[in-house]
Amino acid sequence: MAESILGKFGFGRASGVDKAGWGRTLAVAVVAFIYFLPVLFIIFTAFKPQGDALLVPPTLSPTSLFGLIPDHFVFKPTLENFGSVFSRSMTPDGAPEATGFDRYFFNSIFIASASVLLALVIGTLAAFGFSRYPLKGNDTYLFIILTTRMLPAIVVIIPVILMFRVVGLSGSYLGIIMLYTAFNLAFTIWMMKSFFDELSPDVEDAARIDGSSGMRVFFKICLPQVIAGLAATFVFGLILTWNEFLFALLLSGPDTRTVPVAMNQAVSSGGRGTDWTLLAAIETLFLVPVFLVTFFLQNHLLRGVTFGTVKR
Amino acid sequence: MTAMTKVKGLATAASFAATLLVGGVTYASAEEVTLTMAVPDWPPTRIMKKFFDEQYKPKSGNTVKLDVDFIPWPDFYTRVNASLTSGEKKYNFIVSDSQWLGAFVEGGYFRKINDLIDADPELKATMESMHPAVLNAYSTYPNSTPNYYGFPQFPDVLVTYGRKDVLCNDDEQAAFKAKYNEKLPCTGEEIDAMDWNTFEHVGEFFQRKKGDKLAGQVLDDDFYGIAYQAGKGYDFSTSSVHTFVWEHGGGIWDETKAPTGHAEGVVNSPKSIEGMEHFLKLLKYMPPVVKTGTMDIFVSDQLFREGKVAMNIDWIGLGEASLDPKTSKVADKLVFGLAPGLRGPDGKVNRTSQIGGQPFVLTTWTTPEQIKEAVGFVKWWLSPDIQNQFAAAGGQSAIKSVYSDPKYVTYRPWDRAWANSLDWQKDMWHVPQFFELLTQQQDQYDLAITGKQDAKTTLDNIAKFQEDLLKNAGLIQ
Amino acid sequence: MTAVSSTLLTPRLTAVVAHNWKLAIAVAVVVSAISMAGLPAAVSFWVVGAAAALVAAAFTVNAYRRHYFGALLVAPAIAVLFVMNIFPLLWSLGLSFFAYQANQQTIRFVGLGNYVRILTNDLAAHATWGALINTAMFVVFTVSAQMIVGFLLAILFAKQFPLRKYLLILVLTPMMLSVVASGVFFTYYYDPTFGILSYVINSISGNQFILMSNKVGAVAGIVFADAWMWSPFVMLLVLAGLVSVPKYLYEAAAIDRISSWRQFWMITFPYIRGLLMLALLFRTIEAFKLADLVILLTKGGNDTLTISYHLIRIANEQNKTSEGAAISYLMLFMVIVLTNLYLYLANRRTKGA
Repeated sequence: MAESILGKFGFGRASGVDKAGWGRTLAVAVVAFIYFLPVLFIIFTAFKPQGDALLVPPTLSPTSLFGLIPDHFVFKPTLENFGSVFSRSMTPDGAPEATGFDRYFFNSIFIASASVLLALVIGTLAAFGFSRYPLKGNDTYLFIILTTRMLPAIVVIIPVILMFRVVGLSGSYLGIIMLYTAFNLAFTIWMMKSFFDELSPDVEDAARIDGSSGMRVFFKICLPQVIAGLAATFVFGLILTWNEFLFALLLSGPDTRTVPVAMNQAVSSGGRGTDWTLLAAIETLFLVPVFLVTFFLQNHLLRGVTFGTVKR
Repeated sequence: MTAMTKVKGLATAASFAATLLVGGVTYASAEEVTLTMAVPDWPPTRIMKKFFDEQYKPKSGNTVKLDVDFIPWPDFYTRVNASLTSGEKKYNFIVSDSQWLGAFVEGGYFRKINDLIDADPELKATMESMHPAVLNAYSTYPNSTPNYYGFPQFPDVLVTYGRKDVLCNDDEQAAFKAKYNEKLPCTGEEIDAMDWNTFEHVGEFFQRKKGDKLAGQVLDDDFYGIAYQAGKGYDFSTSSVHTFVWEHGGGIWDETKAPTGHAEGVVNSPKSIEGMEHFLKLLKYMPPVVKTGTMDIFVSDQLFREGKVAMNIDWIGLGEASLDPKTSKVADKLVFGLAPGLRGPDGKVNRTSQIGGQPFVLTTWTTPEQIKEAVGFVKWWLSPDIQNQFAAAGGQSAIKSVYSDPKYVTYRPWDRAWANSLDWQKDMWHVPQFFELLTQQQDQYDLAITGKQDAKTTLDNIAKFQEDLLKNAGLIQ
Repeated sequence: MTAVSSTLLTPRLTAVVAHNWKLAIAVAVVVSAISMAGLPAAVSFWVVGAAAALVAAAFTVNAYRRHYFGALLVAPAIAVLFVMNIFPLLWSLGLSFFAYQANQQTIRFVGLGNYVRILTNDLAAHATWGALINTAMFVVFTVSAQMIVGFLLAILFAKQFPLRKYLLILVLTPMMLSVVASGVFFTYYYDPTFGILSYVINSISGNQFILMSNKVGAVAGIVFADAWMWSPFVMLLVLAGLVSVPKYLYEAAAIDRISSWRQFWMITFPYIRGLLMLALLFRTIEAFKLADLVILLTKGGNDTLTISYHLIRIANEQNKTSEGAAISYLMLFMVIVLTNLYLYLANRRTKGA
């Protein structure tokens, strides 16, 4: 029976995706490469010697590709900038000191994963509730939840800071995690509700008639079918939370600061403007975790986001 | 759950949270006092923290901890403002731009220090040993009244950055002489004597295209003579326009004359317009980024460090990056002098300039224990010995005995311009409406800088806006 | 299951029982309003919090007694949203009816004064409307650019081909970048002296090219950067729809010799419509909040000030807290109207089809 359910939702079913050959690969590769160029430039900048960042014309490649690229477009790659992310001199002629970025990276990873997972748990429960036990005015509630994403953060920040101070959450992990959880809930609920709406009610009804409790139906029958949806929601939530800036700036203390806030050290660094190579190095390192997570979950992303219309 | 248990539960939760709150506040004990400080993250504050950790021994015998929150410059105001206005009461010391004083004094966040100065002869002597221009700009609210709030952290002025290899080249010298019948400034002293006309000539003279020759070498990129901040962000055109307006005898709304002073007729007086037009005239000799309205102090500094301009007028605070060969392509070719001035009919150069830099202030919720230690810390920080070390490490000092010492000019190449510049520094407004005045003015200046309206319209608009705003605020009768 | 529930009658408004949520709401609203108006912020905060807890407790008891499992499932989400989001929103809604500046601790009730001011006052209204018009322009340009580019990219990837996985992640990367970093790098790409764009165009045309020196260029620069970052978001959703169309539908269509255009509208489109709508909704909401890129690229110069950046200036720089709250509720109103319009049109289409 499980086979047939899975079959019904695209697992193993022949979908409309045709096979195409290397010709398509080549065409897509050109487009994807052009699309990726601005990112590639940032990554290359992370490997440039500090003085090369602003050369005109810019250096474009770490290798001459066996003489294919003229010498003045080639830079000599260095790992120095990545070292500077974690330890560099903060005063003129001063000895290198720790910048605290190891801590900031830990904070970013911890806060983002904790809050996205929490939002996923709470949001999935709520989405199931909205999908299976519609309340009177269900759509209105859903829409109100969506409106929490509509206001710029700067408006809610003052009451939030005040609230955090009163309950002693200022600068703590718990506070910022709860805030990000709320921040992610709207998207999680909307996404996951769409997934649950798509599931066929037959199997659930059969299970209920057999006397399974609501919770059992949820965990044993519904949840396994939306694992792909959970993956998709996790990735989107992670990407949005990972780069959140304003709440992190205003609500984190020196110990709970995240990378996007600390990154601005490189935008105005040590009494001058942008330190291009340092900024690029921070961004490149910061890209790695979210890039890897997305890469490993992208099969699910594609297989799973199969939901229907947005109902209102 | 009955209503009664609900109430009990709430009460428990409330008292628990109250414990958290009270527990969270650091009470100063007799042995250990913590001073929490919000500072922008850059060398002058890093140096201060380093000196503190290495050298500071409180006279009281207490253990004093300086807990410094280094916040990246671009977000510094946002963070501090949110912390203050939300009532977080987190910081005891805050580095503040001088213009923010009014806004935060009126709100009851910054502590007046007159009583501390009066009670402590040493502190009083320290305050009196400061250059009056710096004291006025960094410490007083309303501006230039004897109501004191701040201590200098990093005082700053605008100076001229020059490239010796280009300016002192014999061919260029000769060509310049032939064209303008004056000497191309090359040494620090010659730059000191430079007026805006010469600066403009330098701009016109050094506009070169890719392939042209510069100092005997063929250029592989366009080259420009001059750069000077003219950007839309923060105060990045106000600082330069004010300088021109003041030097031409015009004015900005003067808060020391409130409530009888006006904006209309002062801000847009013929002399003010003349000053602004003079500034706008220089823009066509600057690198093309000026036309986008984003040439701020960092962009012009970057152009200079990358060797794209011959002269740049910028804050001393950005100097270290020019000096460091890793971040500067002109590190071994630097020459520094005073910012130019306006030569009057009598041949004398008249100068007035917008002051930069930051004071740090005490907040009102700082406890007596903390204040005692804070005063001790300030006296230590402003003592000649520490200020000398600070200047030697790349800072600036406004203490007379420090900057008039002959060895001061040996610390950094721009220090020769420091002491002389102090006399003609002025500050803009300290009133609580500062950001409203600044934002509207920057928007208007930007329209003029990017060529969308002329100086007169610009200053008329600003004057009208300021007159209305300040009238409503009761600052103009 | 839901049918088991209603043995419990809805209590009268005045009945003091634990599950009377209507009374709880009434009490909470009255108490909160009084305390916000009369008590210092730190005290009224607790009062409002307690009132909210009272309502939540009444709801929970009500749901539990009536076996509303739906409500119990939803409760944790609502609780988190209420504390972290809705409560601050209501707080600022309240503030929008007062004259209050966060850095000056006086507060005065002005009713709709702030709204009247931002919509009709000579100076304030001019800025508000200008910023709103610019925002509308950015919403139209960025969202349509993202929808089109995202859609085209999705079509490219909607086939199985070698190395597809590795090429897909390349296209997804832009949205993973921090806005600060990519925005700062776009200032570099567009820079007339150092930037690549000007370098290429200068070498071809021989004239100095400055992208950001006029409104057209500045808008194009911002729209390009924003669309580049967020088209992958649209692409991913659309692609998910495209790959979920069952193959037999296409096979049937092929047998019936239906043109590919009609095939798209009859078979493919129904499968991606919901996803397109979700993408459109979230991208529109985000586009209304566009501020960071504008701040980084133009500082609002060349007439690119958006309502969200205007709000940051008012609420953060100038500390006109309640005026900022009024502006944000004006924004919220517009976003709600627009998103409802989307949903209405989408649903009418569904029913009409």
